[in-house]
Amino acid sequence: MQLIAKLGILADAAKYDASCASSGAPKRSSRGRDGLGATNGMGICHSYTPDGRCVSLLKVLLTNFCLYDCQYCVNRRSSNVPRARFSPEEVVRLTLDFYRRNCISGLFLSSGIIRSADYTMEQLIRVARLLREEHGFRGYIHLKTIPDADPLLIEEAGRLADRLSVNIELPTDASLERLAPEKRASTIRQAMGVIHHGQQAVAGEPRAPRFTPAGQSTQVIVGADATDDSALLRNAESLYQGYGLRRVYYSAFSPIPDSPSSVPLAAPPLLREHRLYQADFLLRGYGYKAGELLGETGNLALDIDPKLAWALANREVFPLDVNRAEPALLARIPGIGLRSVQRLVALRRERRIRYDDLIQLRCVLDKARPFIVTSDYRPAQAELRSGLLRARLREPQAPVQMGLWG
Amino acid sequence: MIALDCGDDFATWRDQARQLLGHGIDPATVTWGQARMDDLLAVPTPLPVGPGPFRARVPAALLAQLEQAGRYRGEQRWNLLYEVLWRVAHGDRTAMLAGDRLGSEMQRRIRQVGREAHHLHAFVRFVPLPEALAEQLQLDLVAYHEPAHDILDSACGHFADRLGRQRWLIATPLDGVRFDGQHLDYQRQCPQAWQQWARNAEDPGAELWLAYYRHTFNPARLNPGALRQHLPGRFWRHLPEGPLIPELVGQARHGKQRDGQALEVGRQRGKRITVADPLP
Repeated sequence: MQLIAKLGILADAAKYDASCASSGAPKRSSRGRDGLGATNGMGICHSYTPDGRCVSLLKVLLTNFCLYDCQYCVNRRSSNVPRARFSPEEVVRLTLDFYRRNCISGLFLSSGIIRSADYTMEQLIRVARLLREEHGFRGYIHLKTIPDADPLLIEEAGRLADRLSVNIELPTDASLERLAPEKRASTIRQAMGVIHHGQQAVAGEPRAPRFTPAGQSTQVIVGADATDDSALLRNAESLYQGYGLRRVYYSAFSPIPDSPSSVPLAAPPLLREHRLYQADFLLRGYGYKAGELLGETGNLALDIDPKLAWALANREVFPLDVNRAEPALLARIPGIGLRSVQRLVALRRERRIRYDDLIQLRCVLDKARPFIVTSDYRPAQAELRSGLLRARLREPQAPVQMGLWG
Repeated sequence: MIALDCGDDFATWRDQARQLLGHGIDPATVTWGQARMDDLLAVPTPLPVGPGPFRARVPAALLAQLEQAGRYRGEQRWNLLYEVLWRVAHGDRTAMLAGDRLGSEMQRRIRQVGREAHHLHAFVRFVPLPEALAEQLQLDLVAYHEPAHDILDSACGHFADRLGRQRWLIATPLDGVRFDGQHLDYQRQCPQAWQQWARNAEDPGAELWLAYYRHTFNPARLNPGALRQHLPGRFWRHLPEGPLIPELVGQARHGKQRDGQALEVGRQRGKRITVADPLP
């Protein structure tokens, strides 16, 4: 089979992984040296596809032959898709060619499970080793980790790659058992533990060889099973705390060709995915706890963002005086982001903040107005009930077309 | 009215501004134009000579910010900077902060310039030259790019970090830069030969990238608005994948949105695997 035909099949097979980040790698440069590639911590999106997603890495599978039969996966063994397999040299050639053209900043390599978990992991490592050692490649490498692989292999991968990821896919044991019978939550967590342990072993030792300097990440599928947002967010929170994960990706389940009846054949729940990312960002960047955003069960509201939802449910905190409130509290005002908080704090060292300043800072005042006090403004809606306020602030929802079959 | 021309060069502007500030000349009475006075009725006054009596002290960070904002191509490009400098030098530091009306405009320009440098790093596409031509021109890769602001000089070092000993050039309608594996050669006026090499390079090897772009797209998630927001239309014509965008959007809208698979893959024969199968 020709290289271009393999590329088509194996890129198509890899697109359901949401992550395409190239950020967080240490500073590396090839200036005046043999080899190719640089990283500086900032990710670069070299293109966007019409689904609005960033293309930062060459994201392919080494092969889409797979022994597993995960129901949500287009490459499961019972799926009737064309199959292909790259040789490691072919992946290297594609990576270097695209990199030289400035189409990508690195490689994200994953694979179907062939022969055994160890064998598959060895193949992935071989590609990374060829790139790093034979070709002096200093760009970004993200390797998918096969959960059941030998910890020694995972450690080897961690020394070559900037990022490793182990996908959780389904956050509850029951769902895994039903939809991914060959996978087990315990081995997934064990693999995460191996990576986390490798990171801790070199933390604070600048001379130690690097180990996944851009951290580890994972992905959960949203909408393939009945798991609610509360469970997803609590799960994410425990991963951030327990394994020092850099990112949890949420991938709205896209219907797959030749779909088994165990998974939905509906359009991907993109708005739900968006709200989960917003809530996840509140966990990572703003210091919210999952328990503050949702009760024991339930889903995030779709018509308002999770920060506004929290503010509406905690009206006793507001209105906040922008001239006095602690930065951490300022960041809880809907419509005022982290960058605006920094700027407000810089500005209020010089003088009192007025309402007009918030306009200049391009804060989203439609959202912020009921929750703030400035030196020349008090909200008239401070007494307005949250229900009414919500009715005013909710985002218009696209009408759902009535289905023919209900 | 004092009319000045700094040739859109920051160092020249800085010397002029320092002199003006030393003589206490109000921003309202200076204008920077393109060679000729824009205001016909104003009587031209010469720039006073010598450093002048006023000793201005400004924070070091301001100079770096002015330089960055000076790369912005737009109305009042240099006048705005002098006004900021004037106010800060006279004790009003808010003029450089985003909360102030003037400071907010300067900060916006700084952000736009930073964004445009990022666009350069992201959307430049190099074409590899065939070996014989590469030997003749001493050049491995060429690219043509149209930045909206003057960022090429300050932002092009990024590619020397990325490409090691490769020899490359980037041509734009205004300026250009060439790297010989050791040194950067920046030209404020891009040599015509560079522009021709960059614009006329043939690229038979582009097919692989286009195939990748087609197949990594998930039609079930079609969202052309988000694409346009991150990848402004003005870049499409210099990207090899540009012409594919409307085609893929059209396909997705006409039925391909059912599932995530690319049309070309769906047409091929599939293969189910039984566990007894010998795997490759």
